[in-house]
Amino acid sequence: MAGEKPVNDAITLTHRRIFILPTQRGLGMLLLIVLLLLIAFVYNNNLAYLLTFLLASVFFITILHTFKSLAGLVVQAGQCKAVFAGEAAGFDIHIHNPNSNERPHCQIKLTKPHSFTLKPHSKITLTLYSTTQKRGWHSAGTVTVFSTYPLGIFYAWSPLRFNVNALVYPKPSAIELPFPEAPSADTHQGASHKGTDDFYGLQSYQAGDSIKHIHWKAFAKGQGLFSKQYSGASTAAEVWLHYDYAAGHNVEERLSQLSRWVIDAEREQIRYGLVLPNLKLMPSNGLSHYQQCLEALALL
Amino acid sequence: MNKNSLIFLLSSVGLIVLPHSANIPPALFGFFSLMLSWRFVCVWRPQYLPTTRILFFLTLLAFALLLSQHRHLLGRDAGTNLFILALGLKLLEIKAERDIYLVTYLAFIVAASLFLYEQSLLIAAYILAVCCALLATLVTINSIQVQTRAALKTAAVIILQAIPMAAIIFILFPRIEAPRWMLFEEKNKAKIGLSDSMEPGSISDLGTSEELVFRVKFTGAIPPPKQRYWRGPVLSYTDGKRWTQLSSQRFEAHTTPPRTTGIAYSYTLLMEAQEKNWVFALELPTQFAKPLAQTGYYQLINLENPTKRAEYQITSYLQYNTQRVTQIEYQDSIQLPREPSDKIKQLVTQLHGFDSKPDAFIQQLLNHFKQEDFHYTLTPPLMEDNPIESFLFTTRRGFCSHYAAAFVYLMRVAHIPARVVTGYQGGEFNTVGNFLEVRQANAHAWAEVWLENQGWVRVDPTAAIAPERIEQQLNLDQLELGGEIFFNASNAKHTNWLKKGLQLWENADYQWQRWVVNYSSNQSNFLSSFGIHDFKTMMQWLMALVGLITVLLSIFLLHQKKKAIDPVLRLYQQFCQKLQPTGLIITSREGAVDFAQRATTALPEHAEMIEEITAAFIQLRYGRVTTRENFIRFAKLVAKFKLNNRRLGWR
Repeated sequence: MAGEKPVNDAITLTHRRIFILPTQRGLGMLLLIVLLLLIAFVYNNNLAYLLTFLLASVFFITILHTFKSLAGLVVQAGQCKAVFAGEAAGFDIHIHNPNSNERPHCQIKLTKPHSFTLKPHSKITLTLYSTTQKRGWHSAGTVTVFSTYPLGIFYAWSPLRFNVNALVYPKPSAIELPFPEAPSADTHQGASHKGTDDFYGLQSYQAGDSIKHIHWKAFAKGQGLFSKQYSGASTAAEVWLHYDYAAGHNVEERLSQLSRWVIDAEREQIRYGLVLPNLKLMPSNGLSHYQQCLEALALL
Repeated sequence: MNKNSLIFLLSSVGLIVLPHSANIPPALFGFFSLMLSWRFVCVWRPQYLPTTRILFFLTLLAFALLLSQHRHLLGRDAGTNLFILALGLKLLEIKAERDIYLVTYLAFIVAASLFLYEQSLLIAAYILAVCCALLATLVTINSIQVQTRAALKTAAVIILQAIPMAAIIFILFPRIEAPRWMLFEEKNKAKIGLSDSMEPGSISDLGTSEELVFRVKFTGAIPPPKQRYWRGPVLSYTDGKRWTQLSSQRFEAHTTPPRTTGIAYSYTLLMEAQEKNWVFALELPTQFAKPLAQTGYYQLINLENPTKRAEYQITSYLQYNTQRVTQIEYQDSIQLPREPSDKIKQLVTQLHGFDSKPDAFIQQLLNHFKQEDFHYTLTPPLMEDNPIESFLFTTRRGFCSHYAAAFVYLMRVAHIPARVVTGYQGGEFNTVGNFLEVRQANAHAWAEVWLENQGWVRVDPTAAIAPERIEQQLNLDQLELGGEIFFNASNAKHTNWLKKGLQLWENADYQWQRWVVNYSSNQSNFLSSFGIHDFKTMMQWLMALVGLITVLLSIFLLHQKKKAIDPVLRLYQQFCQKLQPTGLIITSREGAVDFAQRATTALPEHAEMIEEITAAFIQLRYGRVTTRENFIRFAKLVAKFKLNNRRLGWR
């Protein structure tokens, strides 16, 4: 059930948002009540009638109790970190119980249910995961808060749609290709080291060398510590990651390749620029540049 | 499956079945106990749970057991046993959560079946408690980390809230008799009351049990103890030893209706379940409703099933004149098995039976009982051969039926129509509930003679010999001991508080029987007093009241108490509201200082005031020490704060 439009704010669960229906067990209880009524009727037994009516009233009142276990809760969606396609996006959900009644057993579900208990006037934050498949914005979808407390004969639920989206970067290609040989056919590229791979050799490790430059594979083979040396020595190399040069049959494969290069370049601490059909990002590195590049790839 | 909720479930199931031990065959109860104990062991040793094959075998065994006890599977006993066995077997097969629900629902059915056997207040309270435990089991499996105590409390709260609605439905739900095809043949479980014949000489046949026969609630005046004769079967035929009933159909068409005078006593008679269809009305009943009918002997009988407790509205008169008798009735009432012996004739002659008026002879005879060495005892010697003669001349010991039989016999010898009336006499008044209780021990027999111009007149010879028997209650402890009865009033004083408590309990039980157990038969009366007469109004009221209760409960349950707002905060909100007309609205992310800064830039002419208020607010709300004076100052500041007229655009 789609319910209401997605919202940004906190949602208070009210009668407009809470739905309630008997569960299979509840229907079983109805059957029991009918059977008891039949026994009472056949034997004209007033105590059996009384028991039947008591159970019927319990059944009826449980609607209110189950409703009460959700009513008044304030649910708000929080932050969501960007992930690569195929990973699970985690949505933070804040649930606040502003009332003085305890919530002994509520559950919340995005893909699989989580149970939680809320004391009066308390808050809880849960992270719900949802597997992503495609790059771009991944909407949280419908978060369902539900409860069968106290007797399990009624199911109260509230489908909530928040305006929260997780940014999904293209899935990095599994194939490790070298960075593109030629930068873009950009005519203003004179300043860069052209036609060269920046990496040019290994050198014995010296104190002060960056840990990121250690040639770990050689170290693992027992060949001693070596540092990778890059051309330009002190200044990082610079590459242009060009959409046209990325291998791939279609857009997604190319983006996937670019995504891999961005990750590699950032890891290697190379300055990298990104050229996409509609966008050009000047070479740089660091977390914000990295995120900017990946976001551009995600949203292309 | 949580071990705790399992133990909880098993215990409540055990408690539900326990009272059934008296009602179901020992073999079946044993089988169930075995299943329950087995399951209990398996709570700690799950490896002992039976396999599917063993379970199948157990099911077959259970069926065999059931069929060995009952030939069919319908009816109360067989049905109850079937559900108990199913419950026992299902206990061994609890795998998923839904099995727990099935077990719980089965337990509820077993609980309801218990009411088919017993309906006392105690058993109802017991079942209510166990139902609470059953619901608590459901609570435990529907919540994480709920303690047993908390679960019980939740269940109890739900049940308490359900009671008013259940009561409303109970009162207004229309009771309709089940169609005949739905009723299964049941063995008659009613208790034996009065016998339909009397044989004074053979055994001591006076019931001495405390068992309740009926209760009477008078709407107006209550007849004096001496006059409380509850009329049962009339015995007019005797073979010299036994006294039996004759059909009244032979003459009742010709019976003239009795003329009544004096006070009319209206009352409600609540009869316990009886074997016979006799209804013991106060002598002499004149008004009654269906299903009651009156025989030619003025006895009331129930034309419907007497094995259920029932309530009747009856009006009786203590003063009556039944007028003429028919020829047949007259003949029946002077019938003697054979010519009386000379000894008897001599006695009648001695008492002027043949040569004086009937009432003179009656007086003579009663005096004879009083003056001669006659004794009242509940354990008289046996008088097998010639009971009346032995009693009159030899043993001279007996109880009501001996005196009544001898009296009637002598009357008939003197050609006065007479007959024996059996029934109950007296009854104990329950001052708490304002009703009269008549027990089996109140069974009595007296005589009735027909006199010209007076009709049938009651004569109680027992009253002559033991007036205390009529005026007071029998002391039942003495009855048990046997021997002669002494009516000792001082004994009663010691047990006064005990008696009071007993009366209180009896009253609660009476109200319970009357308003709950026996509600079906007086529902229409009760509802009529509220102006609810037909099915449609009943349903309308039912809907309306259930709706009302729902609304009340919803308000009670769902109304959330707003957390009391700090008065300081409330004053600050007032201040913010005063700023609102200028378009300055504090946002949820803004602190008081930030807001004040924004406000002072927007309203420079109020800057001083705004800063002062803000400072006071911060000090009161976040400061370590807050004094009453500070608060009052803050309140005054907020009250004094007023926007410039110009700002409001009034100019």
